[in-house]
Amino acid sequence: MNARILALAAALAAFARPPEATAQTERLAGRLDERTRAAVEAIVDSVRGAGVPGDPLVNKALEGASKGADGARIVAAVRALATNLARARAALGAGATEPELVAGAAALRAGASAVFLERLRADFPREPLVVPLAVMADLVARGVQPDTAAQSVLTLVKAGVREADLVAFRQSVERDIALGAPAGAAATARAASAGGLATTGVPSIAGQTPHPRKP
Amino acid sequence: MHGSAEDPLIARVAAELRRRPPAPPDFEARVMAAVRRLPPSLPARAWTWLREPRTLAVSPLGGLAAAAGLAALVIVGAWAATRSPAAGGAARVAAAPAAARDTHTLVTFVFMAPGARTVTVAGDFDGWDRVQMPMRRDASGLWTLDVPLPPGRYQYAFVVDGRRFVADPAAPRAVGDDFGQPTSVVTVAAGATRAGRGSL
Repeated sequence: MNARILALAAALAAFARPPEATAQTERLAGRLDERTRAAVEAIVDSVRGAGVPGDPLVNKALEGASKGADGARIVAAVRALATNLARARAALGAGATEPELVAGAAALRAGASAVFLERLRADFPREPLVVPLAVMADLVARGVQPDTAAQSVLTLVKAGVREADLVAFRQSVERDIALGAPAGAAATARAASAGGLATTGVPSIAGQTPHPRKP
Repeated sequence: MHGSAEDPLIARVAAELRRRPPAPPDFEARVMAAVRRLPPSLPARAWTWLREPRTLAVSPLGGLAAAAGLAALVIVGAWAATRSPAAGGAARVAAAPAAARDTHTLVTFVFMAPGARTVTVAGDFDGWDRVQMPMRRDASGLWTLDVPLPPGRYQYAFVVDGRRFVADPAAPRAVGDDFGQPTSVVTVAAGATRAGRGSL
């Protein structure tokens, strides 16, 4: 009798699970041991209610599996990412897209504050923020201090530079660093230059006329 | 011979024919009894069935299953409602223009490894599969692969000879490596084209 009830409850639980969640975690089949897979699925399920997408978490688990990491390390990485995705969701709002959340989580991990994300969203409620957030994280990875990176990105976005120009800005900073410039100074100088050019309407650092964003 | 309605003889005959014979005293009762014996129509039977009280016998397990099924339906309905445009207005409104801009961009991965037997790209876009995206080698040992990607930020690495993960030297590194292996990042802006170039 108990076995039948448990089987019924399990069947009902599977029925109540969103189809997309099942599809996401099915990607884990054969890639993780059962214990690790169950732990990852539990994390995915536990944060779904907070609006955290499951695919990035499954990707993180698959990355660990592909790189031969042990189960505990995989679960720890997935849990850390889930935390940052939830923080990004809280900062960027219910309307944030999955790519924005992924980029936001990377920025938070790089050292950006939630206030930086909130400010970006408040200033640009309808603009895609993937590239600004990603550039911020990439600058930190190149050695720029998080506060400096965040301020540089904010300066450029407020000046109206386009996404492609933001990527070009990051590449310029990387080149400057490779040539020996201090990371922070390179970011600040390039941001001031690109932001000034953008606001005056002359060709930006990427050689394209910028289109100022609407406030 | 042709008669007319005004003919008195014809009028009398017609009046006689129209006169109903006297019915037996129990005629009406017998007709009503016959009507009552006819089967009721389907809607009438359904209405009667719905109004009549019933006694249902349900086992504990059956009752539990019914209650659980009802609860599951409520949960699924609530979940579906949160995903509907009416309930999740902000999310849907924001997602719609993003989807409209969601054109894929061809990203070209380039990697110089003259001594490698195989090189693949593994990343967030292919479930970190070591074999799914093999790169093509030219005579100089330059490996290339074009991958269409929607706008977003992706982590990836080159897999050399099926086992060794190598970061793209031409791309930013991911902040903090979770698994002790190098990882690179590519950010795809809407309408952008990128050519990653590395060497080994």
